[in-house]
Amino acid sequence: MKRSFTILLALVLALSLVLAACQPKAPAATETSGGESGGETTAKTQTLVIGFTASQTGKYNVSSGRQVNGLNLWMKQINEAGGIKLSDGTVVTFKAVSYDDESNKDRVQELYTRLATEDNADLLISPYSSGLTAAAAVIAEQYGKVMLTTGAASDATYKQGYTKVFQMYTPASRYLTGAVDLLAKTDPSVKKVAFVYENSKFSTAVVEAAKEYAASKGYDVVLFEGYDPETTDFGPFINKIQDAGAEAILGGGHFQDGSAFARQLYEKNVPVKFVTLLVAPPEPDFADLGDAAVGIIGPSQWEPLAAFKPDFGPTGKEFEDAYMAAYSEEPSYHSAGGYAAGLVLEKAIRDADSTDPDAIKAALDNMDLTLFFGKIKFDTSPEAHGLQIGHSMIYIQWQKDGDKLGKQVVWPEDGATAEVLYPLH
Amino acid sequence: MKTLKNHLGLITSLVIVILIAIAPIVSGNAASREVVFTILRAIVLASSLNILLGYTGYVSFGHIVFFGFGGYVGFYLITAQGQSLWVAMLAGGVVSGLLAYLLGKAILRLRGAYFALATIGVNEAVRAFINNFEPFGGPTGMTMNFSVYQEYGGAMKALEMSFYIMLVLALLVVVLSYVVRTSKFGLGLLAIREDEDAAEVMGVVAPDAKTWAFVLSAIFPGMVGALFFFKNGSVEPLDAFPLHTSIEMIVMVMLGGQGTVLGPILGAAGYQRMRGLLVTSPIFKNIQLAVSGGLLLLIVLFVPAGVIGWARQRWPKLRRVLQ
Repeated sequence: MKRSFTILLALVLALSLVLAACQPKAPAATETSGGESGGETTAKTQTLVIGFTASQTGKYNVSSGRQVNGLNLWMKQINEAGGIKLSDGTVVTFKAVSYDDESNKDRVQELYTRLATEDNADLLISPYSSGLTAAAAVIAEQYGKVMLTTGAASDATYKQGYTKVFQMYTPASRYLTGAVDLLAKTDPSVKKVAFVYENSKFSTAVVEAAKEYAASKGYDVVLFEGYDPETTDFGPFINKIQDAGAEAILGGGHFQDGSAFARQLYEKNVPVKFVTLLVAPPEPDFADLGDAAVGIIGPSQWEPLAAFKPDFGPTGKEFEDAYMAAYSEEPSYHSAGGYAAGLVLEKAIRDADSTDPDAIKAALDNMDLTLFFGKIKFDTSPEAHGLQIGHSMIYIQWQKDGDKLGKQVVWPEDGATAEVLYPLH
Repeated sequence: MKTLKNHLGLITSLVIVILIAIAPIVSGNAASREVVFTILRAIVLASSLNILLGYTGYVSFGHIVFFGFGGYVGFYLITAQGQSLWVAMLAGGVVSGLLAYLLGKAILRLRGAYFALATIGVNEAVRAFINNFEPFGGPTGMTMNFSVYQEYGGAMKALEMSFYIMLVLALLVVVLSYVVRTSKFGLGLLAIREDEDAAEVMGVVAPDAKTWAFVLSAIFPGMVGALFFFKNGSVEPLDAFPLHTSIEMIVMVMLGGQGTVLGPILGAAGYQRMRGLLVTSPIFKNIQLAVSGGLLLLIVLFVPAGVIGWARQRWPKLRRVLQ
């Protein structure tokens, strides 16, 4: 017994003292590569290291995992295709190095510093979520590494004076503005709008911007009310909506609350003409609501249905097929965002005809292209450098074709697959 | 010489903290510095909690509230009021201490599980308050402009400076922990831990002593919060009040040995280093939480008094050193 105690003590002391005091060795991180290994330059081949953290555990696990799947698919394809050939004859291939950030901020800066200094990452991809990205951006900027952010929609990060951080997603401030445009186009007589939203970072940022936009378009915001993320009973909010005489509802938050809200609006037969909710409607599981889902509109960063004509990279269909073949599941917009981030890096290197970080940054600054994911263009003003100004949300609506319930793209007009179902009641 | 001998426990603890921090100081390696920053942060949080948990015997499941609240106040002063990091940290510590004083008056009358439950409630209540408090950015939180780092010689220098400040805080909290433990006030706290009613009979004014222990255990987490969010460049309610970090703090204290000065230091360093290694280990990275849970279970099963508690029992002669 004494012996086991001694062993345990030795173990703990070894962990706490020796390891803590010693110079940490370079960790063996996850490495994904389809090409040359080692991150070294030979006469003709150069392997660029793409570093990022993924949320392999914790609340962002699913979304982050799909984002990484998308990025890895792009990397596999480009490496298998022989990499990027520059005019000086150099062939550029890619290798990924990643760590688990556990969906929390505690170690994000620690791991990004490691990526930048120990793993010598040439390019960085952000963690999933705006909060983690804000912490990583400080490190990216500090070490002068270009970082593409996916899954980080908050505008605030891009207004802090960063010059190396570039956003792939439509920012939160424009998440719901398209819904206001859609409503204005569909029925100019509607004037009374209610905003009922989850009291969380993301939803609040979205609705505050949308409220301002709606007011600027002449809408009367009759209700602006946040609810707790744990809310399951929307009765009191529905009563307020009815009392305020709202004709349209915008808001929601995440999947659980958004689904419950949509179901209760249907059950109480609330006489509104137009409902747009965040996050929940684009999810395939939203169909479980049955008739309650019909007519509900939701914004999405990308949908397989969207018919964009890309001037670089695969079409939406080609991406979807390749993703299905690789992972045996439908790609979500997170997957598409990860893949598109790879495409943007690829295009920037091709445009720069170099792997020099400054040249890649300049190419990103000048970028203006359409991918299967949508349009990509970055703000280059000092006030909001890197903010996404090209990409727009796609708005889907659940519609019934006979007995079959399905999603249709209803906005923007150039990507629409069906007329909007209006009014709801 | 005699004075030195009398304070061997303090010297040992301080030397160990410096040993933990020495590698990045000597090598100047940024990645290593970040790893040690996380460890030092854990040492400050665990040693602070130890004043309440280890010395007084009160389990606070919501102790991270002081880290979050101090962090928020400090961050607000830097971003909205243009104050320096020094003012922010000072304010973070003061408001956290003040919050602990007011809370202590109210909830330290509760004992055992009731107190533990109340602390969880306090954490959630403060988070809900911050979530609805517009000057602090409500649910969206606050973000700091990158140019703020220029005042400290650029981001590189600011991050390096944060490490040294954290080291100073860790050394200070160790001194505080030692002073409390060896003072008359500390003896009162230990008496409360053993039997609160008996302590009162013996003349310890338990409500006052407990409140001051609570205040002392809250000040440094508040200062660390201000420093941590300054370094991160943003703060939001979910990051500022993570309940799981409260639980990790308790684990670190128990692991090293509650009620000792050195215990929380070793517990925090060991736990954080273990997590850090598992997260980046190719073998364990996908099951790192399960592995760390299993290791903790083993340690708690076989060494319930914590490493230092066990070592003190095993080698009584070392008690002067292992305090």
